[in-house]
Amino acid sequence: MPSPFLTPGTVAQADNVALLHLRRDQTIPTILRATDDQNLGYKEGKVSNTRFGSFPHSTLINQPWGSQIVASKVDTGSRGRRGPGNKRKAEEIDVSGTTTPAEDEGSALKKPEAAASGFLHLMYPTPESWTLSLPHRTQVVYTPDYSYVLHRLRARPGGTVIEAGAGSGSFTHAAVRAVFNGYPDEDAPTKKRKFGKVCSFEFHEQRATRVKEEITEHGLDGLVEVTHRDVYEGGFLLGDPETGRSPKANAIFLDLPAPWLALKHLVRKPASGVESPLDPNSTVYLCTFSPCLEQVERTIRVMRQLGWLNISMVEVNHRRIDVKRERIGLDCEGIRGATVFPRSVDEAMQKLRTDDERAKRLRLAHTEGTRVDHPPKEDQTASRDQQQATYDMGRLVHRTESEIKTHTSYLVFAILPRDWSEEDDLKCRQKWPSNKIDAEPKPAPKSRKQQKKEFKELRLREQKEDNEAEQQEEQEQEATEESIAA
Amino acid sequence: MHSSIRPNQHVVLQLPSDQTRIVKLVPDTVVHLGKYGSFAANQILGRPFFLTFEILDAPQNDGYQLRIVPAEELHAENLIEEADADGEGEEGESGSATPIPMRTNRNITDDASTQKLTTQEIEELKKKTSGAGKEIVARLLESHTLLDKKTAFSLAKYTLRKRKKYIRRFTVLPLDVGFLTNFLLEQRDAQRTMELRDEHVGLLGCLGNVHHGGQSDLSAISSVRPDGRYFVVDETGGLVVAAMAERMGILYPEEDDEDAEPVESSGTAHGEVESSDKKSTTSMPRHKRPRPMSAQGNTITVIHSYSQPNLSLLKYFGYDINTPDESHPLHTHLKTVSWLQLVDPATDPILSSEPPALSSEELAALKASKRTAYFFKRNRWEKFRAVTDEARAGGFDGLVVATLLEPAGILKHTIPLLSGSAAVAVYSPFIEPLTELMDLYSTARRTAFINKKRELENSRSSEEETLDISPLLEEFTLDPTQLLPPTLHTTRVRAWQVLPGRTHPLMTGRGGSEGYLFHGVHVIPTSANIQAAGTFRKKRKVEETSTPASDRDVEMAS
Repeated sequence: MPSPFLTPGTVAQADNVALLHLRRDQTIPTILRATDDQNLGYKEGKVSNTRFGSFPHSTLINQPWGSQIVASKVDTGSRGRRGPGNKRKAEEIDVSGTTTPAEDEGSALKKPEAAASGFLHLMYPTPESWTLSLPHRTQVVYTPDYSYVLHRLRARPGGTVIEAGAGSGSFTHAAVRAVFNGYPDEDAPTKKRKFGKVCSFEFHEQRATRVKEEITEHGLDGLVEVTHRDVYEGGFLLGDPETGRSPKANAIFLDLPAPWLALKHLVRKPASGVESPLDPNSTVYLCTFSPCLEQVERTIRVMRQLGWLNISMVEVNHRRIDVKRERIGLDCEGIRGATVFPRSVDEAMQKLRTDDERAKRLRLAHTEGTRVDHPPKEDQTASRDQQQATYDMGRLVHRTESEIKTHTSYLVFAILPRDWSEEDDLKCRQKWPSNKIDAEPKPAPKSRKQQKKEFKELRLREQKEDNEAEQQEEQEQEATEESIAA
Repeated sequence: MHSSIRPNQHVVLQLPSDQTRIVKLVPDTVVHLGKYGSFAANQILGRPFFLTFEILDAPQNDGYQLRIVPAEELHAENLIEEADADGEGEEGESGSATPIPMRTNRNITDDASTQKLTTQEIEELKKKTSGAGKEIVARLLESHTLLDKKTAFSLAKYTLRKRKKYIRRFTVLPLDVGFLTNFLLEQRDAQRTMELRDEHVGLLGCLGNVHHGGQSDLSAISSVRPDGRYFVVDETGGLVVAAMAERMGILYPEEDDEDAEPVESSGTAHGEVESSDKKSTTSMPRHKRPRPMSAQGNTITVIHSYSQPNLSLLKYFGYDINTPDESHPLHTHLKTVSWLQLVDPATDPILSSEPPALSSEELAALKASKRTAYFFKRNRWEKFRAVTDEARAGGFDGLVVATLLEPAGILKHTIPLLSGSAAVAVYSPFIEPLTELMDLYSTARRTAFINKKRELENSRSSEEETLDISPLLEEFTLDPTQLLPPTLHTTRVRAWQVLPGRTHPLMTGRGGSEGYLFHGVHVIPTSANIQAAGTFRKKRKVEETSTPASDRDVEMAS
C-alpha cells in the first residue's frame, strides 16, 4: 500500500491516514474507514466529530485531496452511552485489525445529510502537518530543526538513516521522506538499487510499540524499521544486538539524554568485535540533539576521542511572523481591530481645534443660557469606505508571533570519513601516478553556444571577406573601366 | 554517492584560513593553493572525502608529496587540553593548598616588539624549513617574549592565528548543495543567490514537501498520475533547482563504480526512461536515446522569465544546460518552460510556429543538412509542446519559489495548476514582498471575496451558467480561498564554539538579509452549489466566526 505521506495519489482512499484541517495549527489525524468498524453506533458509518461539526467518513473517502468538506447532520445523541470525541481510542482499536469488510452493510448505511454550517479541509499528511498534529509522547523535534538537521546530514534518496530515540515519531516521518526513493519490493529484491530506509531505535517499550503501529497505519512498513532497544548497551544492529544485520547507515540522528554513551557503537571497527552499523563505503554524518550545554561538551569530547571530524555546534532560531493591518484614526470608531487615536499631527491639531471650538460654544451657551447647536456632522467614514475596501485599509505591519520557542536544543554535527588504509592508498597511487602531469591542460570542450557563436563569427568574417573581395573586384572593374574609358 | 574523490569532479578545498575553493579535479594537472603551495590532482583522486592532507616539502620516490593528517593529530590540542582539564579538576577537588595564580592580561602591553622574529627571518624560514609550516609556527611561539605571560585563551588564539597563516594543509570536501550554498554566501556575491543560507534551503524543501516521487513504473495505483512533479521558480542561478534536485535524487550523475559492491550502484534517478540499462544506451540507435525533458514523474519544471533559464550553477554538478550530458538524470527530469509558454502559449515564438510534419518520402528527398535542421526544429518544437501541455494540464505536487518577480503573480498562475493539498513555499531575502502576499490571503480579504463571489453567483441567470470570476480577480489579484493557512517563517542558525572551558556563541557572523519563507497549502473550495444551499443569511453571519473560514478571527476571539 503506498503511503499517503509519500505518494498520496489524487483522492483520499479508505484505510489510509488523512488529516482533517480545521484551522491554523488545528489538524486532526484520522484513518479513513468505509464502515463503522468499531461499532460506535453511527448510522452513517465511521464519523469524526470536531468542533466544527461531524464528518462521516463516507463524505471524505474518494474526495480529492485538499477539498473543502461540508459537515453533515449526524445524530450523536441516540447511540447509547458511548460519548463522542473518543477518536484516539478508536484509532487504537483500528490497529488491532478487526476490520470486517461488509459491503452489504456499507450500502445499508444512512446517506449523510449536509449540515447548515461547518466545514473542514481534507489534507494528505506531510511530515510538517504530522509534526503539528501528532499525539505528543515526548518533546517533539519541530520542522525548523529537522529540516536543517536532515539537510546537514545529507539525508538523500537512497540513503539510510539511524534514529535513536524515536520519541513521538516526528523526525522519523521527516527522515523517511528525505531518503525515500521507492517502495522496496519484498518478493523480488532488486540487487541493483538501494532503497532509502530509516532504522529507528526506542528504549521505551510502549513508545516503540506505538511508533510501530503508526508506521503500519501510515503505510511506511519496509521503509522504517523500529527496534525496541537501549542503544547505550545494545548498539545499532538490526535484529540481534550482536549477530544482527548492519543497517549500513550514512546518517545518524541521536536524540538521547546521553549521546556520548551511544557513540562507542558508531565506529568503523567496534571494540566488541561485532559488525559496524555504518556504511563502510561512505562518509557518515552524525547529529546529536541535546538541550543542555553540559551534554554538548561531553558529547564533543567523546567525538574528538573517536576521531569524528568537522565537529560543529549550532542552535536554530526560528520564528513565525504575524502579518496584520493596523488601522489608526479618529474616524475608526466602531471598526473592529482599529485604534481610535489621531493618525497624524494634523489630525491631532484638527481634533484639538474642534474640541476647543466645541468647548467655547458650550461655555457661550452656558453663559447665554441657550441651547447648543451642533454643527452638521461630516459623513467621513462613508465616503472613505466607498473609496477603499476595509481589508485594504491601514498600514501593513508584521511582528513575531506571541509565543516563540527561544531554545529547542543544541545541534552537534560531525563527520566520519570512510576508513582508509595504507593499502588503499597504495592502490590509488598506482591508479593515479603522482608524477604524471600534463604539460599543458587540455582546453575545455566547447559548449554548443560557444560553437554557435564561433561559427557565426566565422561566417561573418567570411561574408566580410567576400564583401571586401567583391568591392575590390568592383573597384578594380571600375578602375579598368575607367582606364578603358580613358 | 560522494564516498571518494572522482576525476573531473568539482570539489571544495578547505584551507587553513577557513577559506574554501571550488576546484575541478582534472587528472594529471596541478592544483595551486596560493601561499599554501600546490599539489598534483592525481595525489588525491580516488581517496575518500573529508580527509585532511598536508603538503610535504620533499616528494617521496614516486613523486607523492602529501600526507594524510590523522584525526588524532587534528584534535591533538583539544584532546590534551581536555585531559589537562580533567587532571586539574581532580586536584581542585582534593583541595591543593597553594592555588596557582590566575593569569590575566593586566601585564600585557600591545607592542609589536614582543615578536622577535622579523619578516625577513620568517621568509627565510618559509624557504628552508620542513614540516609543512609547523616549524614556523613553533619558532614564532618560541621567539615571542611574552608567551609565558599570555592567558590560556590568548595563547590559543595566537597559536591558531599563526597556524592559519603558515600551515600547509587542506581538506577535501564533496561539492554538494550545502557546501555550495556556504561558498556562494561567504565567498561570492551573496546577493546573486538571494543570500540563501543552509537553513533556508532545508526549510524551503521541507515546507514545499519536495521529495522523491517513488518509482512510477512499479506501483500500479500511482501510474494513473505520476508522482513527484514540482514547479520551481528560481532566480538564484540554479541553486534552488539544485537543492530540490538533491532532495529528489536527480542531482548527481549515477556512479558506475567498480570498487563498491554491486548493491552500492546507488539508483538515484528513475522514471521509465532511466530504468533502462545505462550501459546499453551508447550502442542504441539515435532515436532510442533518452530524450530531453521526457521523464514522467519525479521531475522539476522550472518556469523562467527570459527565453533561456539561468541555471549556470548546475555546472558544478556535471550538468550544463547548453551541452547536456545525456546520462545525467537532470537531462530527462529537468524541464523548462517560460512564463509566456505557460500562460499564453499561442504567442510563444517556438510553440506558435509548428514545423510541418514531413513524411518519410519527403524527408528522404531532403538534403542531409536540411534534414538535420528539420529534425532539430521538429524535435525542439515537440519537446516544448510536450512540456508546455504537461505543465498546463496541472496536477503538480508543489511549488517552490525564490525570485525577484512579484510573488502574487506567480501564485495567480501556478496555484490552479497544483493538485489539492500541494504545498507552496516562497523564499524572499526581504520580508516586504511576503507580508504583501500574506495580506492578499488575509482573513478579511477572504471573507470579502467569498461574499462578493456569492453575490456574483446570485446574480447569475441560471444555476448551470459557469461563473466568471475575472472581475473578482481584478480586485483581489488572486483567489484567497485557494490557499490555507498562509504562514510566514524566518529562521537563522547560530554557531557556537565548543572548547574545554571556552564554550560560547561565535563572536562574529555574517549579517545581511534575514531570509523569510512563505508557506501555504493549496485547497479546493467546495463548489458554489453547496455553499449556496444554506438559505439562512443571518445565521451564517454568526457562524462565520465559529467556522474555519475566518481562522484568524476565531483565534483572537477564543
